[in-house]
Amino acid sequence: MCITISNKNLAHRALGLLGLRASYVMRLIFWLTGLCTVLMGCQKAEPDAQPEEQIFQKPANFPEPVYALDRNRPTAAGMRLGRALFFDATLSRDGSIACAECHNQAYAFTHHQHDVSHGIDNQVGTRNSMPIQNMAWQSTFFWDGGVHDLDLVPIVPIENPVEMDEKSTNVINKLRKSAKYPAMFKDAFGTDEINGPRFLQALSQFMLTLVSGNSRYDKWVRKEPGGTLTDDEQTGLTLFRAKCSGCHAGELFTDNSFRSNGLSISPVNDLGRAQVTERREDRYKFKVPSLRNVEKTLPYMHDGRFYSIEAVLNHYAENVQFTETLDTLLQKNGKLGVEMTAAEKRQIIAFLKTLTDDQFLRDTRFVEP
Amino acid sequence: MITNSVVRIFLLALVTSATFVSCKKTEEDVIDPDTKNSVTVEFENRVGDQKLILGTTPYKNASGESFSLTALNYFVSNISLKNENGTVQKFPNQYFLVKQTDAKSKLITLKDVPSGNYTEMSFMIGVDSLKSVSPVTERTGVLDPTSYGDDGMYWSWNSGYIFLKIEGTSVAVPKTVNANQNFAIHVGGYGGGWNGSAKTVNNLRTITVPLTTKATVRANIAPEVHLFVDALKIFDGPNKLSLATTNSVHSPAVATPVAENYKTMFQVDHVHNNKQ
Ligand code: HEC
Ligand code: HEC
Repeated sequence: MCITISNKNLAHRALGLLGLRASYVMRLIFWLTGLCTVLMGCQKAEPDAQPEEQIFQKPANFPEPVYALDRNRPTAAGMRLGRALFFDATLSRDGSIACAECHNQAYAFTHHQHDVSHGIDNQVGTRNSMPIQNMAWQSTFFWDGGVHDLDLVPIVPIENPVEMDEKSTNVINKLRKSAKYPAMFKDAFGTDEINGPRFLQALSQFMLTLVSGNSRYDKWVRKEPGGTLTDDEQTGLTLFRAKCSGCHAGELFTDNSFRSNGLSISPVNDLGRAQVTERREDRYKFKVPSLRNVEKTLPYMHDGRFYSIEAVLNHYAENVQFTETLDTLLQKNGKLGVEMTAAEKRQIIAFLKTLTDDQFLRDTRFVEP
Repeated sequence: MITNSVVRIFLLALVTSATFVSCKKTEEDVIDPDTKNSVTVEFENRVGDQKLILGTTPYKNASGESFSLTALNYFVSNISLKNENGTVQKFPNQYFLVKQTDAKSKLITLKDVPSGNYTEMSFMIGVDSLKSVSPVTERTGVLDPTSYGDDGMYWSWNSGYIFLKIEGTSVAVPKTVNANQNFAIHVGGYGGGWNGSAKTVNNLRTITVPLTTKATVRANIAPEVHLFVDALKIFDGPNKLSLATTNSVHSPAVATPVAENYKTMFQVDHVHNNKQ
């Protein structure tokens, strides 16, 4: 990261010691700051910047967020409240299961070692849990995109009989009666009156702060210290851009669309996107997932059918099935799938592993309070 | 002569009475649009020509299936009133949830209705698409998706309100479908299309009913419009639905015939224009 000088007096004195004239100094600072911003997207030092630390920050190489931050910008108190709720099993019917149970930080907030998530009373669902990261850049949620606003997401797991099996109305009532929450709501929203919208917004504030943008790949893009990629990784990136980025596009590694990548249809016969749109042309289409931290988010696909990235690449290379909605990008020149040699697969995997963001996976701000 | 004077007296009497009548009439017809009052709309749920009682009361639909009801809820929104000059008075951003279990919810009050003679009423069953995609902070009262407890009126997995739901029990429901032979018919689907995504099935329906007795809003008259709502029509409207096959409806496309049916279930029984 570049250093921005926030205390101009201090800067003056320091540079004065070096015998530089103030006007030069100012110009130099101005120029350096500008350069900094251009190169690395650091924020300019603003004399009247708010004292409150910026809880939500957009990594310089990311596009503009799509979440309406003006409506619900994360604050320190809001994030603390959201985090407390995220780790609180009170949100489930019998107090046995919290959001964090299926969304574990060490695995980019997904459910590790379960192909389909396990909920209350050890019931299993039909879908693989999804990582919670970079939510501010997502316009639809869940594998089928059934929810269009992050604020409306928590009601789904809370009221799902095989996940938390509780009524959100009861959750709000339990929070109202609790010893700790009224004060936390007051800190976050200026009132200790707990209601549905505030409860949902608090959870969003926490989830919005789960930004992963400091992988080795990001540092390489931003030309920051530690940002080195080996030759294999760089070749992997080039291959990835040629073969995969038609769907896993941009810095979030998804174009947020719904597509069929040719998985064989399982006995569950999950219709995916068509379950929401009820349109034939959307059958077996699922959300193109982001591949950030993909090394840690196994198992893979909406039903967790692949336990390793190798298995995923073997799928694309050899096992793509023809279905009525198979994406055209996976049936070029009359051939199904993506052509890759063994070496190319290895290089793509090497690249994918540079998307692991240890800082995010270990960030103590996200740990159970 | 006699006949002549009789005729004259008769004519005089006629003219005089006409004057009186017209006097009285103008007095009543002065509509001061600056004065306002409220209009109350009562939704009286019935089953055919029987009272709707939740529980075990048996009813029969046109398919000859006997059933009983445990729930009937619906959203009413986007109400408007048209007066005899064709002017439409809208009541935007007012959402009501009518629940059979809650007597108070069956009386909807529209406030600040300008004086006038209203001849038609329209309303929507459901929650319009704009509100269906609005921020959570704008979903207060009956629109708060966390407010329904066990009596859900919201599809969380497909972010949308349930516009109408009818639930109950019928021996016509195969035990293989539901061991207790319960049925649950939930209608939703505001048409999708948010974030530029595909349009989906739209089951929003607007109902327009004539007020054959005009609702005459005056400074001292707050009319009451009394609607009969015939739950039988949910099964027996333009589409004849049998509980043997239509017993578990939980997504928009299959719910469309139900919405087409309930569009026909509202009927104005009478209007009270009592002076206050
Ligand atoms: C029993 C496990 C389980 C619990 C508990 C759980 N989730 Fe999930 N979560 C899942 C699964 C499975 C999915 C994917 C479901 C699907 O697509 O149908 C998911 C998806 C999500 C997503 C969507 C991510 C995306 O990229 O679209 C978010 C956000 C989320 N959960 C937040 C939460 C919150 C907040 C809670 C607590 C209120 C919670 N989850 C509780 C299993 C769980
Ligand atoms: C036609 C669009 C498309 C192309 C091209 C494509 N993918 Fe995917 N990818 C998807 C979709 C859609 C899914 C989710 C499918 C599902 O779960 O049903 C997915 C899932 C994945 C997953 C699993 C991620 C997770 O969290 O479960 C990985 C890893 C992956 N793709 C890697 C790649 C690689 C590497 C390439 C290039 C060789 C590639 N993809 C090419 C659309 C595509």
